[in-house]
Amino acid sequence: MEAMAVENKREPVLDVRNLEVTFNVARGAAKILAGVDFQLFPREILALVGETGSGKSVTAKSLLNLIPGASKQTSGKVYFEDKDLFKVSNKELQAIRGKHIGMIFQNPQACINPVFTLGEQLFRLIRLYLGDEIARMKLSEGVSTKQAIQLIAKEKLNEVGLSDSKRIFKSYASEVSGGMAQRFMIAQALLSSPKILIADEATSALDVTVQARILKLLKDLCAKNDTAILFITHDLGIAAQVCDRVAVMYSGRIVEIAETKKIFSAPCHPYTKGLLQAVPRPGRSNGLSFVPGMIPDLVDPPGGCRFHPRCNARMELCSKKRPEKYVVGENHEVSCFLYEENLRG
Amino acid sequence: MNTSLIELSRVRTWFPYVKSPLGRVKSWIKAVDDVSLNIFKGESLGLVGESGCGKSTLGRTILRLAPLYSGEIIFMQENIGKLDHTQLKPFRAKMQMVFQDPKASLNPKMTVFQILSEALHLNTGVEKKDYLEESVKLLDLVDLRPDHIYRYSHEFSGGQQQRISIARALATDPEFIVFDEATSALDVSVQAQIINLMGELQRKFNLTYLFISHDLSIMEHVCNRVAVMYGGEIVEVQEAASLFNSPRHPYTRALKNAVPVADPEARHDLGILTGEVPKLSDPPPGCHFHPRCEFADEICSNKSPQVSHTAEKSWVRCHFHEKLWQQGLLTDRESL
Amino acid sequence: MEKKALKKLAATVVADHHKMRMYQLRQFLKHKSAVLAFFILLITIVAALLGPNIAPYPEQGLGEVNVSERLQAPSAQHYLGTDVYGRDILSRIICGARVSLFGGFFIVIAAALIGVPLGLWAGYSEGIPGAIITRLVELFLSFPSVLIAMAISIVAGAGAFTALLALVIPWWPWYTRLVMGEVLSKKRMLYVEAAQMLGYGKVYIMVRHLLPNILTPVIVMILLDLGPAIIAIGLLSFLGLGTQAPQADWGLMVWEGAQNILSEWWIAIVPGCAMFIVVTAFNIFGDAVKDILEPNRS
Repeated sequence: MEAMAVENKREPVLDVRNLEVTFNVARGAAKILAGVDFQLFPREILALVGETGSGKSVTAKSLLNLIPGASKQTSGKVYFEDKDLFKVSNKELQAIRGKHIGMIFQNPQACINPVFTLGEQLFRLIRLYLGDEIARMKLSEGVSTKQAIQLIAKEKLNEVGLSDSKRIFKSYASEVSGGMAQRFMIAQALLSSPKILIADEATSALDVTVQARILKLLKDLCAKNDTAILFITHDLGIAAQVCDRVAVMYSGRIVEIAETKKIFSAPCHPYTKGLLQAVPRPGRSNGLSFVPGMIPDLVDPPGGCRFHPRCNARMELCSKKRPEKYVVGENHEVSCFLYEENLRG
Repeated sequence: MNTSLIELSRVRTWFPYVKSPLGRVKSWIKAVDDVSLNIFKGESLGLVGESGCGKSTLGRTILRLAPLYSGEIIFMQENIGKLDHTQLKPFRAKMQMVFQDPKASLNPKMTVFQILSEALHLNTGVEKKDYLEESVKLLDLVDLRPDHIYRYSHEFSGGQQQRISIARALATDPEFIVFDEATSALDVSVQAQIINLMGELQRKFNLTYLFISHDLSIMEHVCNRVAVMYGGEIVEVQEAASLFNSPRHPYTRALKNAVPVADPEARHDLGILTGEVPKLSDPPPGCHFHPRCEFADEICSNKSPQVSHTAEKSWVRCHFHEKLWQQGLLTDRESL
Repeated sequence: MEKKALKKLAATVVADHHKMRMYQLRQFLKHKSAVLAFFILLITIVAALLGPNIAPYPEQGLGEVNVSERLQAPSAQHYLGTDVYGRDILSRIICGARVSLFGGFFIVIAAALIGVPLGLWAGYSEGIPGAIITRLVELFLSFPSVLIAMAISIVAGAGAFTALLALVIPWWPWYTRLVMGEVLSKKRMLYVEAAQMLGYGKVYIMVRHLLPNILTPVIVMILLDLGPAIIAIGLLSFLGLGTQAPQADWGLMVWEGAQNILSEWWIAIVPGCAMFIVVTAFNIFGDAVKDILEPNRS
């Protein structure tokens, strides 16, 4: 897939090409991802938006090969900087995960090991990734290794807004609230100053006022650390408020990708248009409309463009061939035959 | 829409939290703490709040599914708070609920027909021999095909399951339906379908709704008035259309600010509220919101604010609501 | 919609569910060992039902002594040999199956019939009844079932039927505990709350909503319990508290052959094997059924 015709030719920090994932279920082979391509550039926040069955979570987990189970096949390329993550050794992948690519999930308390205190887990990570920091701290403050680690831990917790570090060190996962747990996860994930942070529905389980602060924190911290964020969410509001670009997913493919303002003001793909009509917005007096029909069966999906059965602009071609990506504007690509006359990038 | 269908008067739903060894209750979880509210016939009242504010408990209390500690619930001019199980039965048909988890609210071992029949049983106007016909009619009302009638719930999608729940609620010929986060587990487009359906049904049958949700942005599309709940208390009630633009309570302002609106042109600072939600077992004294309120003063921690009407059907509970309103301190965001 | 159209509808849905059952059956047939186990059990049950009618030496099966042919090794006339009193062991196995096998069924079914309703009730109603039953269950569960049954048998007097009843008493608490656990997890389910909202009472909810949803683990427990029950009866008979001589019973047969175990080993080993085969068959069959009906639980 060619790179898009962008103004500033930045090198993407993550380049996903034709990612396909198939699960073997009782009824047959479910093609969860049918060719996902996108790029993540440094320091940007990219939203991966979709409803149930779009494959957004599977995309996130596949990037780091986090999906267990032998009954799946994956193909495609995922380039982190210049390495194909599907081709590197397990050891190298493990080194990349955690150090260069961090991930936070929906249910933070479930992701913290319940058997150890938060402090123990944080210290361990500091020992693993921040050896230099520890050495530096020991020299400048004249403290022992243990104290150096604690000082660094305190600093990191302060950065995410957890000021009562002594209490946090001693707490277990079940003793902290959802918001605090997620802040802790963010501290852990950003510890090694990763190039990429993948946030998989990271705020969906939080109250809206807590979510607001976590989103703010994510944005600020990542800007400070030069970390790019891949934000997976079903909430278009979050995409609008926080993200630079939005990629809309439907049934295993990205159907449209553009800068946030463009997606909301001038959506091109019929699905994107339908989705935006269904989103409740204060101040909109017209009712909510929606796209009729249901998401396709992944074992036996519609031929050609997977959206065509529900599309009111469908043409005959749509059931036969799968649309390519067509450029419709600066940094704006759509996978829809309606835009075929535009030049391909 | 001016007669009250339901009048709540100083309703408290307290659950025992800590008991002494002899059984005496030492502390309570005050899920609903002194709530007075009128729900008018034919209206759609929204109840919004974050987790742990007591909104689900309030819905259940009205339906007598949660134990009433003190206060009155007047439903159709009858004080149902005092009725026992048998006396309550005729009222149960008139008030129904649609629950949050579509899958869990339907018995997996029962067919749709059995589920609907179970509800139809409560409808005195329908005889047993007509159950099948009535069930098909109900499915039609919620846009489900009749051939679904002998299927089990797990054979349906979340949106369809929720429609079945709505059909069940309609089966008893109710006056009042509580939707407890009924769309929260659904995709955005499915949610839109269900909301449209709810509106149709309300107009058709002149129903009264209580729509409970944590999502403020939906309220305008579903409700006439919205009540905002915090820490077991209702802090504000206002017309849905104006609540977003002109909140009268500091918490409402923080809440609406925090909602990520799907409009990139209207970006703003989302997170203005610090702190954590109060524990219902030990809420702050006086106004429950005062520890997190930037406008709080001494009186707020001593005295619980009174209800002050700002319009015929709108009111707010805040010691400083007048000042805040006049000085425009709660409308710092650009109106949409 | 027309009544006729609805009937046709019902037929298609029934056909769908039939397909699902067929799928489950096919899954079951994949477990070769379970299919084998099933046939072994089938044969055993049929044999037990027919009893003396198919035994080669029915009178001996029932106890008649045949001193002239005692202690014979397996041969053409006596496929499994004869015992201390000269009785054909094969016949005694077949006649003994009645007590051992059906006794096992009796114990388990009776235990379930008592334990399940108690579990439903204790799990669903909070407060004092639940607490009392829980304590009772805990009490019974802290002693080995057979020990309790032995004590009861000794007091009540030895005998086949008394032994069975004595075994039911410590057996039902297991079902109560299982059901209580299931009910406690299910009674907060929203469909239970929906039934409450519709004004239905405790009993209706327990029978209509909770019982069907806890049935699967109960059935699995019954199947896996049959083995231990058979062994338990065998044990009591071995100790002289169950079936009395000269009636045939696998456990009793083992005791009768115990003295001659070194020389005429078949007298004790054959009934022991019979028990082993049947118990293992029930276990394998029960496990396979569990895998199919409860694929999520491990």
